[in-house]
Amino acid sequence: MNCQLCQKESDKYREGKLSDDLRTKVESHLQQCNECAESYRIQSIAESIIYQEKAISPDINLTARIMARIENLEDTGYKISKPFIRVLQPALIVASMAAAIFIGVLIGNIYKPAGTVISRPVELSLIDDATIESVDILSNE
Amino acid sequence: MTDTEIINIILQGGRNEYRTLVERYQSMVFRTCMGFLHDKDDANDLTQEVFIQAYQSLNKFKGDSAFSTWIYRIAVNASLNSVRKNSSGPILSRLDLLFNTGKERELSFPVYDAEDPENIFIKLEKSKWIQNALDSLPENQRTAIVLSKYDDLSQKEISKIMMITEGAVESLIQRAKANLKVKLSSTYKKMRLIP
Repeated sequence: MNCQLCQKESDKYREGKLSDDLRTKVESHLQQCNECAESYRIQSIAESIIYQEKAISPDINLTARIMARIENLEDTGYKISKPFIRVLQPALIVASMAAAIFIGVLIGNIYKPAGTVISRPVELSLIDDATIESVDILSNE
Repeated sequence: MTDTEIINIILQGGRNEYRTLVERYQSMVFRTCMGFLHDKDDANDLTQEVFIQAYQSLNKFKGDSAFSTWIYRIAVNASLNSVRKNSSGPILSRLDLLFNTGKERELSFPVYDAEDPENIFIKLEKSKWIQNALDSLPENQRTAIVLSKYDDLSQKEISKIMMITEGAVESLIQRAKANLKVKLSSTYKKMRLIP
């Protein structure tokens, strides 16, 4: 067995998934090759650390914490809604705001307070601008 | 009751049924978070966030994939985001260590009563050693190896979660293992991990 094959099979060897024949070959190679033996040792340590981390369980109160958070969310008004409602809600808000602004401007234009209407004197409306002499002509003279 | 049936009940207002889903999947979500964060408290907090996020997005779950696949995706994305967030502030984290203002970190491996302090130290060093090696992997290799090693998922399941082919998963895991081997070997002698 060469180093390449040994390293390829080392995971299965560690997990005890090799046939007897192959297992014997890997063991024999590991005894002879220092480099592969060291590599195998390193991998085994790494696996054991991962195994230790995997053995840690989540907090026993985790489910209760999650459900409490969800309860809080819903108490503050959050509700799971269908996607179209989630899209429709902001669209309706924007549309109603636009409508409110439009109606506001419209009413603002129509409404004229009685005291502020400026009536134009009749004399002024009779003046024809075309008949007034140009200031330029006067200044040239 | 199947996951889909539970989800339908929740969407019709049966909020409390979500507890069943949480109890069913919290361990696997926690293991995934642990594989990325290597800290029990952080993994607990992130698991909580994953389930809240999943609850808020439950209406987007179409049932095309299994609920487990869907929640794994959320867990992987949340973990990667958390890792990115943590790695973007190394100066702050160093200051935190310097002034000891951070919370006391819980060891990411079980320590038994009356254990020799030297033994604990060696365990801690070993733990950091593997964490650093895992953290140095590119995101996709890291995701594949975490799902494979921490969650014991098959290549088929990983391919569904990562939305890539099984061949691509195999390739990612092989490259991750090769990279880990190089990284672990290079720091092995310096740290004198093995007596």
